[in-house]
Amino acid sequence: MRRNRLILAIAVALAFPQLARAQTREITGTVTVAGGTVPIAGSTISAEGTTAETRSSNEGRFRITVPAGPVTLIARAIGYKRGIQVVSGTQTTADFALERDVLQIEGVVVTGTATTIDRRSATTAVAQVSGDAITDVPAPTIQNALVGRVSGVNLQSNSGAPGGGIQMQVRGNNTILGSFDPLYVVDGVLYSNSRIASGRGSISDAAFATAEDDAVDRVADINPENIESIEIMKGAAASSLYGSRAANGVVIIKTKRGQLGAPRVNVRQVFGQFDISKTLDSRRFTLQEATDKYGPDVAHWFDNNANPYFNHFDQLYDNHTLSYETAMDVSGGAGNTRYFVGGTWKHDGGIEPNTGFGRQNLRVNVDQSVNSKMDVQVSTEFNRAQHDRGWNNNCNNFACQGYAFAYTPGFVNLKARDQNGNFLQPDWGIQSNPLQTAELARNHEETNRFTGGVTLNYDALNTGRNSLKFVGAAGIDAFGQNNNLWSPNELFFEAVQTQPGAAVEGNASSRVWNWNLNAIHNFIPSGGGWSANTSVGTQYVEEYLDYSRITTTDLIPGQQNVGQGTSTIGTDTLKKSRTLAFYGQEEVRLLSDKLLLQAGVRAERTSNNGDIDKYYLFPKVSGSYRLLNLIGTGSEIKPRIAYGETGNLPIFGQKFTLLNTPQLSNLTGFTVAGASGNAAVEPERVKELEVGVDGLAMDGRLTWELTGFTRNTTNLLLQRVPAPSTGYATQVFNGGKIENQGFEAVLGVTPIQRGNNLVWISRATFTQYTSKVKDLAGLPPFRPPLSGFGGLGVTFIEVGEPLTQIIGRDFCNPNVPASCASDGVRTATDVKVGNSAPNYRMGFVNELTFKAMHLNVVLDYQNGGDIINLTQFLYDDAANSADYGSKDWEYRMKGYNGGVITPYIEDATFLKLREVSLGVTVPHRFLGPANTVIKSARVSLTGRNLVSWQKYSGLDPEVANLGSAAIRNNLDVAAYPPSRSFFLDFSLGF
Amino acid sequence: MMTLTGITGPWFATRGRHGAAAALAALSGALLLSSCANLDVPDTNSPTQGVLTETPTRQTLARTAVGIQTQVSIDIPAQIQQWGIYGRELYNLLGNDPRETGEEISGPQDPGGRAGAEWANKYAAIRSINTYLTALPKGGLSDAEVSASQGFANTLKAWHLHMLAVRSGPTGMPIDVDRPIDAEPAPLVSSQEAMEAASALMDEALTQLNAGGGEFPFNFVEGFEGFDTPATFAQFNRALAAKMLVHRATFYGCTECWTQAATAIAASFITEAGLPGSLKTGVYYGFTSTANETANPVTETLESNRYWIHPSIISGAQLRPGGQPDLRLTTKVALAPAPRTLNGLTGTYKPVMYNDPSDPTVPDLDANIPWLTNEELLLLRAEIRWNTGDKAGAIADINLVRVNAGGLAPTLLTAASTDDAFITELLYNRTYSLMWTQGTRWVDARRYNRLNTLPLDRQGDVVHPNMLIPSAECDARGLDVPCSISGG
Repeated sequence: MRRNRLILAIAVALAFPQLARAQTREITGTVTVAGGTVPIAGSTISAEGTTAETRSSNEGRFRITVPAGPVTLIARAIGYKRGIQVVSGTQTTADFALERDVLQIEGVVVTGTATTIDRRSATTAVAQVSGDAITDVPAPTIQNALVGRVSGVNLQSNSGAPGGGIQMQVRGNNTILGSFDPLYVVDGVLYSNSRIASGRGSISDAAFATAEDDAVDRVADINPENIESIEIMKGAAASSLYGSRAANGVVIIKTKRGQLGAPRVNVRQVFGQFDISKTLDSRRFTLQEATDKYGPDVAHWFDNNANPYFNHFDQLYDNHTLSYETAMDVSGGAGNTRYFVGGTWKHDGGIEPNTGFGRQNLRVNVDQSVNSKMDVQVSTEFNRAQHDRGWNNNCNNFACQGYAFAYTPGFVNLKARDQNGNFLQPDWGIQSNPLQTAELARNHEETNRFTGGVTLNYDALNTGRNSLKFVGAAGIDAFGQNNNLWSPNELFFEAVQTQPGAAVEGNASSRVWNWNLNAIHNFIPSGGGWSANTSVGTQYVEEYLDYSRITTTDLIPGQQNVGQGTSTIGTDTLKKSRTLAFYGQEEVRLLSDKLLLQAGVRAERTSNNGDIDKYYLFPKVSGSYRLLNLIGTGSEIKPRIAYGETGNLPIFGQKFTLLNTPQLSNLTGFTVAGASGNAAVEPERVKELEVGVDGLAMDGRLTWELTGFTRNTTNLLLQRVPAPSTGYATQVFNGGKIENQGFEAVLGVTPIQRGNNLVWISRATFTQYTSKVKDLAGLPPFRPPLSGFGGLGVTFIEVGEPLTQIIGRDFCNPNVPASCASDGVRTATDVKVGNSAPNYRMGFVNELTFKAMHLNVVLDYQNGGDIINLTQFLYDDAANSADYGSKDWEYRMKGYNGGVITPYIEDATFLKLREVSLGVTVPHRFLGPANTVIKSARVSLTGRNLVSWQKYSGLDPEVANLGSAAIRNNLDVAAYPPSRSFFLDFSLGF
Repeated sequence: MMTLTGITGPWFATRGRHGAAAALAALSGALLLSSCANLDVPDTNSPTQGVLTETPTRQTLARTAVGIQTQVSIDIPAQIQQWGIYGRELYNLLGNDPRETGEEISGPQDPGGRAGAEWANKYAAIRSINTYLTALPKGGLSDAEVSASQGFANTLKAWHLHMLAVRSGPTGMPIDVDRPIDAEPAPLVSSQEAMEAASALMDEALTQLNAGGGEFPFNFVEGFEGFDTPATFAQFNRALAAKMLVHRATFYGCTECWTQAATAIAASFITEAGLPGSLKTGVYYGFTSTANETANPVTETLESNRYWIHPSIISGAQLRPGGQPDLRLTTKVALAPAPRTLNGLTGTYKPVMYNDPSDPTVPDLDANIPWLTNEELLLLRAEIRWNTGDKAGAIADINLVRVNAGGLAPTLLTAASTDDAFITELLYNRTYSLMWTQGTRWVDARRYNRLNTLPLDRQGDVVHPNMLIPSAECDARGLDVPCSISGG
């Protein structure tokens, strides 16, 4: 029944616009950059109050058909402020000179699968970043490039390992067991961000199997070079048309496309290198102390030097492999065809030897007009990535570098080798030399990925008052990831294993396939004054992820194939889901475009739900009103309000009760598994109210966007423990509530603007949110999955507390004797000792242009948040801390000995100089005879993560040993150290 | 998916209003097609319960029968260790878990800790059995095969329920647990009632086995050799039934249980032929060192710090005529290279009964653990005979074990001896015959109210009278922890 009604509604919507065409005429003109004659290609020219719209050619020319009589033409182009002209009924030409839009006043905002709205009217907060900003300073991944530039988004890297591994969190945590990733959409194709662990933990004997493998988040595959823009839909009202994948926000990425005209060629060559930003010191031993602690065998380290001391970080992390990026693109168009072809070859050298990151991309985007009504857009990219992320994070056999350093006294020269060139057999207590591990062990990952989509646009009707457009799109994103790890038998830590030598072969195959069909109807009544935009659509998504891993130990010496070990284990996991959705949206503009009202709903059913036939509804409603000229001519103040709902899918398999397959006497049996499925499992539901006031004043030199939101996530996926007498140990169910409240602000000012010769643009972003567990549906407080290490500070879910609270043992309060046990430790074990979420974050982007010079600085500030310094804990455990014997050390040891974690919990506040770039656009006349060929040339010197001012005593407060935990815990367990990078950047345009 | 291609034809071919109409038709078609898209995505990583509950076959039922067999042995290592510690058969002096030398010996018991696993494991096994029993009639088996399978499954289910009652004692336990996970938890009943229900189920299982034809429609794992047809499995059923009845007689004073036990044990596999070899005849918990299978979890080298014989076992052993200790001690223990002391407890001897018999220093990962053997049946019959008036027969049975298993001289007991003296003699033999297999010393001391005879090593040590209901079970019922049949 429900389906039939929906179809009926679509039929009515489609039948509606069959109205007669009015009399029309043509207007021609050009669009250029203000203050010159440079044409703007691809700008949109539309007639206000009608549905007429066209685009400018490569020479900036346009031709538009409009109704008879006077019309108002509006010219818009990305990166420029709009131009408006009233064209009289007799005038047949109109020329536009557009000013640069330095504060991003203009642009369009995505409101649905195939609908957009101009930014000035947007009913929700908007986070948009242009491709230029992303590539200004070479970044390993797009996420690195976004840091400091957007509000409402918390981006934190899990370690300093090359090539990705960043958690992106939009408006805080919403889930405990569900997915915590935003949905990524690249040119309409859903883009997988699966993290597939390497299997390193099985070699390094990590506590949490694969969760400590520092897995790459696969959005690292996206090539920043080819990006036109990134838009982040933050709130539920913005993203509700994406349904139950949108609870954590939606990131919409558009890539560059060709423009009509002669071929344009851009070439970029970047050279640079990475340097470790900070190292840790260790205890200084005297000969006596050394032999007391490690025995007489270590005395030889003191033979030629009474006070030997080596900083092992300096010994290991001194790799300065050349990092480079070569990017080239060709774009253009003729006749009905436009194209963009871009290729990038990138390599980042890691500071640890034999680590690094490489990526090769080839993108081909083709736009083809079939006829005046129909065009086809094809977007494809092939992508290859190599990750060598080394041996770090937690381990339990000293296979990881930082962990082994904690137990390696400073008098040991790790570089020392015997006459055969082999590293010296460790005689300092542990069997491991990180330099040897880095030299001989392999942790290699290789990914091949294809992402491609086709979009068909068909203008079925355009009468000036009515337009009807169909948009159909389909796309696939598929990758194969291979992990190949080898820990050779001769490694010191392997040689002491009962089964020395290990190899891992992991293979993953991912495929996300989706298509959607949309009908968009626009109606403007003949009197004008209001307009209505109706869109309906349907979407189908299929996701497939299969990953398998073969692990072997007891290798034949010298062999690295998993077939050459005697103790071999294989695992294989397949996850698959299908989703079908219908959606509709109505957008009404009233009061001469000043009032915008939007309402929409998505109905969706998914295979991951218990009931696969049930449609879940995700509605939204929002509005904005533009107050014009209130604080000066040209000023705009826009209050807005939006409410929306989104969902978070149940995880694959939560609805199934499985059978275990125990084996005995070569027979395989079936028994009922302890985890009971829930055949009624449903999506989590996010309900969010967002209010804001945006504005621009002073001729667009001052803009602001202020947003407050309150978001309740209900129907959480939770795990309860049923009565064990049922025979089951756990069951997933829906219930409970989490609240997130926050405030975001963006402030843009142009303090100086002297034509194009001297411009200073400054943007600041502010992000603050707090979470609170409101209800756990009767569950007692609990530790979520991957909460941390036992008594060493763990995330703890408790009603009335933030989702991100850390509990642990604390010292007692001497003023409350009842709280004290005899050893000065608080009697209660589970007390709140911290909160991993920051109080707030701020970003500052400053761009200074002086004639041909260009300076860009991005600062990123985090206030508060607690980090658990288990690296320090390891040094203390090894009696090897640099401050051994000091007052600070005594305080920590009091905690260490009493099982109190508070001395290891530190403030994660930091201020980082994320980006600096100083560039010169070479004036055309300096190019000499080449200036007939070379259209533009630019040279810049750039740096990323140059300085960090932090309270944290460890290396980097921006670290998460368990980065794949839904609730991020800032857990520092000897992670890959942070690095800074410098690049010299040459860009040429032909 | 296929819908896009359905659209492109008319869309390309037409113009204007016709195009709109065609597109409308195509869009409607797409909606119709997509609305019947199949979203049924199975989990192929592992068999789902549906293969058993919805579409059982002979093969899936046979596999489930195997699974049920593997589930009987999950708890036995914990039972050997934990009940063994409670009953002062052994210490665990590894030192990695303070409970081994603390809570388990000196209390108080933590309902959130060790109480949980063996309770949950047994009910998980019962869940598998109940699921199997429900599926049995739908799997295309013959009536005899169904009956044989029911008899097999009910025998094991009755045993699980009985053992839950043994561990729980006064707290009571739920028995009516075959209900949906979302239903109200099954009510707690007294352990006495639970044992009565288990006995009744054991008898029902016998009837089913007797109607079960000549063969089971499934294979048996290691440990059931000789008891793998309905007729021979029925002998095992009777042996378990006899033991359960003896427990009821001693725990709860069920006097008629003695005569019922006499009938049951007569129908079991008890034998006097072939001694001493036939002492070992019986059913075992199977373990293997094969990859992906479960190896014997309690066997270990003499150097291991984990398991140590309680000193009272060493000192309490009677001497053989030659002056050497009871064979049941000398074959099961070995002197460790060095003694170990932890938290005031000292171990000197290591258990080696699951080590290689030819070299007790070598662990045998393939060693099975006795479940119920002829040796125990003879001792059970002695107990039954003494209590049914055949005291001479009882003494004869005791002596069969003393002489054949322990190498000892016959007992000095006579038909005129007191019950107390008989019990002392009986429990001595049960302890040495059955030690390291089931925590018998603790259970026997409880049966005869002799917990106070167990040795306490340190000031403040206690002997726990039972295990607690795990806190998760109380939580799910909204009862305060610890809970029992008399409330929370």
